[in-house]
Amino acid sequence: MSAETTAETGRKAIDLPDYLITLPVVGVLGLVANWIGPDNPILESIPGMLILLVISFVGLVVTRYAPFDLPAVAWVTLVAMIVTLPWTPGSAWILGHLESMDFLALATSVLAYAALSIGHSEIDIFKRAGWKIVIVALLVFVGTFFGSAVVAEVTLKIQGII
Amino acid sequence: MEHTVKYRLGDWRLHLAVLVLIIIAESIYIHIIPMGPGSLLLLPFLYAFVLGLLINPNVVPIARRLIRREDTRRATPWIMIAILPFIAKFGSTIGPAIESIIAAGPALLLQELGNLGTMLLALPVAVLLLRMNRETIGATFSVAREPSLAIISDKYGLKSPEGAGVMGVYVCGTLFGTIVFATMASYIGSAGWFHPFSLAMACGVGSGSMLAACTGALVPLFPDLEDQVVAYAGASNLLTYATGLYIGLFVALPVAERLYRLLKRGGDPAATAAAGGPDHAEPASRADEPRQSKENDR
Repeated sequence: MSAETTAETGRKAIDLPDYLITLPVVGVLGLVANWIGPDNPILESIPGMLILLVISFVGLVVTRYAPFDLPAVAWVTLVAMIVTLPWTPGSAWILGHLESMDFLALATSVLAYAALSIGHSEIDIFKRAGWKIVIVALLVFVGTFFGSAVVAEVTLKIQGII
Repeated sequence: MEHTVKYRLGDWRLHLAVLVLIIIAESIYIHIIPMGPGSLLLLPFLYAFVLGLLINPNVVPIARRLIRREDTRRATPWIMIAILPFIAKFGSTIGPAIESIIAAGPALLLQELGNLGTMLLALPVAVLLLRMNRETIGATFSVAREPSLAIISDKYGLKSPEGAGVMGVYVCGTLFGTIVFATMASYIGSAGWFHPFSLAMACGVGSGSMLAACTGALVPLFPDLEDQVVAYAGASNLLTYATGLYIGLFVALPVAERLYRLLKRGGDPAATAAAGGPDHAEPASRADEPRQSKENDR
């Protein structure tokens, strides 16, 4: 399990050239998902996928060399946000190509890998923790979701946005 | 370096399995099942996850014939790689919506504190009904993703009762967090109790796959609002990545400690001192006891 390693050692261990080979693999899987489910032809989606892969790679480069530590997913989000801001040159072109990328389809491969990654240690911890932890976990998920939804709803109403 | 690449491409069985899972899942596509005031959404990534568990040899031993155990060990780094284009697509919805996101800034910031809602619900139930000990603190102070593991590991160590608690919820999140978030979002979203924007912000809990599941369930319900829903969810998730560690360390964990001691004192003074071992498997009947029970919890 990567539990202990992700938080601290992750960033220095980022092997950038390695991603030049692995990112296209998930890119191909994403194109297949984007074609079969949402019905976006593969050839037309290639530019959009390439843009997403480039954004991902730039995000990884920033993660590796940034002066302070944020997870790669946070940097990738920031890079993607910056290149699609209305006043960023070329953002309309980028967004035009990204339209054909269905974000649900991009999640399918993630969860397929996640399901296949579950190992003995997870199953063991799960068994040892017992049924109580399952109830607690459910309440944790429900609690955090409702907690945030209630605060957001009240604040958005006060602000007059909804 | 070349070694890593070979190591990652060498597991062709793994990628082939993922490809097959994608083809099956995307062929079934989205189904909506009305249930009571809301609906359940069946989404491709949920099929991919459940089918993936069924062919995982660590979960279903007979699946060894399809996929080797080594392949499953190599799957973990690929989650991180596969999530990047997804996260990039998410981030690309924030840029165009930047003005409405800045306008909703107060709501976005305040709802980060809503993540403390986990303690209002889970912590009292764990202490008072389930009679759990110090593992409660690790289990309920946050939604137990990687930053929370780091916090608990640093303060108590992962082998401590607190560590057992956070690891337990972490593993539950890995095993069925996506299913819970997708079900919750689709059901509550279709029941119409909250505005879609509030639910979108609630989806950003600091886990890529839970964000995907939660937002993925909302989008088919509100196709006209897709751009904004995805943008708010993405912005909220980004904020959680940025602030989650600090809120966890400086707010949630101290609050969990206090609340835990307060509830334990209310229940049984002796229990406050008891550290509580990692073994908290007790007969099921215990959970049914009334809250007021003064019984020692061990």
